[in-house]
Amino acid sequence: MNPAALVPAVPATDPLYAHGVGLAVLLIVLIKVVVVFGALMVAVMLMIWFERKVISDMQSRIGPNRAGPFGIMQTLADGIKLFFKEDLIPERSDRFVFKLAPYLTIIPAFLAFAIVPIGGEVTVAGHTFELQLADPPMGILFLLAMSSIAVYGIMLAGWSSGSKYPLLGSVRASAQMISYEAALGLTVVTVVLVTGSLSTRSIVDAQALHFWQWNAIRLGVIPFLIFFAAVVAETNRPPFDLVEAESELVGGFHTEYSSIRFALFFLAEFMNTITMSAITVTLFFGGPDGPVPHIPHLYWLWPILWFLGKTIVFLFVFVWLRAALPRMRYDQLMDLGWKRLIPLSLGWMLIVAGFLVDGWWGVAMAAATVVGGVLIARAFSVGAAREEDRAILPPVGVRVWRRPGDPASAGPEGGDGR
Amino acid sequence: MADYLPILVLMVLGFLFAAISFIASALMAPRKRPTAAKVAPYECGIVPRIEPPTRFPVRFYLVAMIFIIFDIEIVFLYPWAVVFHQLGSFGLVEVIVFATVVLVSFLFLVSNGALTWGPAARLERALPSRTSESTISRIAAGLAPAGDGDRSGTGPGQAA
Repeated sequence: MNPAALVPAVPATDPLYAHGVGLAVLLIVLIKVVVVFGALMVAVMLMIWFERKVISDMQSRIGPNRAGPFGIMQTLADGIKLFFKEDLIPERSDRFVFKLAPYLTIIPAFLAFAIVPIGGEVTVAGHTFELQLADPPMGILFLLAMSSIAVYGIMLAGWSSGSKYPLLGSVRASAQMISYEAALGLTVVTVVLVTGSLSTRSIVDAQALHFWQWNAIRLGVIPFLIFFAAVVAETNRPPFDLVEAESELVGGFHTEYSSIRFALFFLAEFMNTITMSAITVTLFFGGPDGPVPHIPHLYWLWPILWFLGKTIVFLFVFVWLRAALPRMRYDQLMDLGWKRLIPLSLGWMLIVAGFLVDGWWGVAMAAATVVGGVLIARAFSVGAAREEDRAILPPVGVRVWRRPGDPASAGPEGGDGR
Repeated sequence: MADYLPILVLMVLGFLFAAISFIASALMAPRKRPTAAKVAPYECGIVPRIEPPTRFPVRFYLVAMIFIIFDIEIVFLYPWAVVFHQLGSFGLVEVIVFATVVLVSFLFLVSNGALTWGPAARLERALPSRTSESTISRIAAGLAPAGDGDRSGTGPGQAA
């Protein structure tokens, strides 16, 4: 094999840096960052209002309607209120980690948005640049890195509180987030496979011009569905919000947080929702791609509008899921992730790889995937049927039952198993 | 490396936002000494007597360990996916070998029950299947809607 063939094609970088980094470039970068930062904050504010309003409508309530027209300033009012609230640090908490955790949650939430392509290329005062905060060659890996760091914020927040419910919430959160990160990573590999580049700009460009070029359609609908399910679980949104299951865990990992620290966790959660909607659009729906009418001087606006429109559709789906679906049980959540999504995404990735080489390879990979799926199903039934004394580990909560397998002897205190 | 400049600026801005929020909150929030009850861990109103719990089921560690198998696989798959067009069928054969090795280890784990969560699966075999039709027929037959052996949440105390 020729070693030169292994070197990937260098992805097109932002033309802004083509002539080095001068003062003007620095200024453009600063302006871009501040605009995106402000837009994100406003978007979060509107998203919280939108969610409350849509859920109210779906439940035949009015929802927030006092602060501003249609209650649109409600989030701002809530945020300002939280500034004036007493900031408590529980006595049994690890004070340093307790204060560190909100930073670890909010900063990755901001950063993850940096790689999302918002629009096309524009030229302002002789400087051509992309409407995207950053287009590093590692692109989509940066998103995975940030979502991994976000696990630390939630984990440490719960652990450092020195309290029962936050600890349980954060342990659940880390197990859930890493489980679904595997499915998320495998579907993103499928996207990278057809694009041949990690850069989000290249991923968007590869889907341009026709909607049947969008990855959601070109890869078969399955990777998109797996990705979206994994994204909902990654952001701890309903129906996968086991992390803050109010009926079991009070408030989950942020039970002990109050005042502005609590507000920052909330802000980060909604910011992640927005970012993940934008990433879904980028990876599977062509990002800012769409028909551009010929209106002079407004050519730059249409991609932004397309991007915003598509993102809002997914934000609505997030809210819709919350209103429509009940929360899953923890074992159902783990079963869905490990037994269905991860094997399916791995198999689909192999099928796509096969079809990229040759039609016959694709058919062979599909057959191999079916065989693998049957083997996995068999392994799971063997695993579930295994007696407790022969298993690697006794299943959770086994000691609650006096005679396993015989619910009649469980008695009142064994009534709900886990 | 100039590509990473906006990320750095955004990180500084995000940090400043969080820091300034905390400072503003410290300035504006009421400054009083919290009572002992306020700083106690939240236990739904019960006075906490025991130490904060630090133990949780070992199964969570097991999930983290199994995740490592897949995470390492994903780490190797990304560079492979980027150069896949150059590798062609050679790359495909390589990844089939790789996926087989991962699949075998995954099969070993799950057939040992490493991903079997909770007693629900065993219970489901032991219990008569419970659907909305069976519940309706039970109520129609004059039986209590939730009784012994019912795992749908209502304990016997609440059902009485």
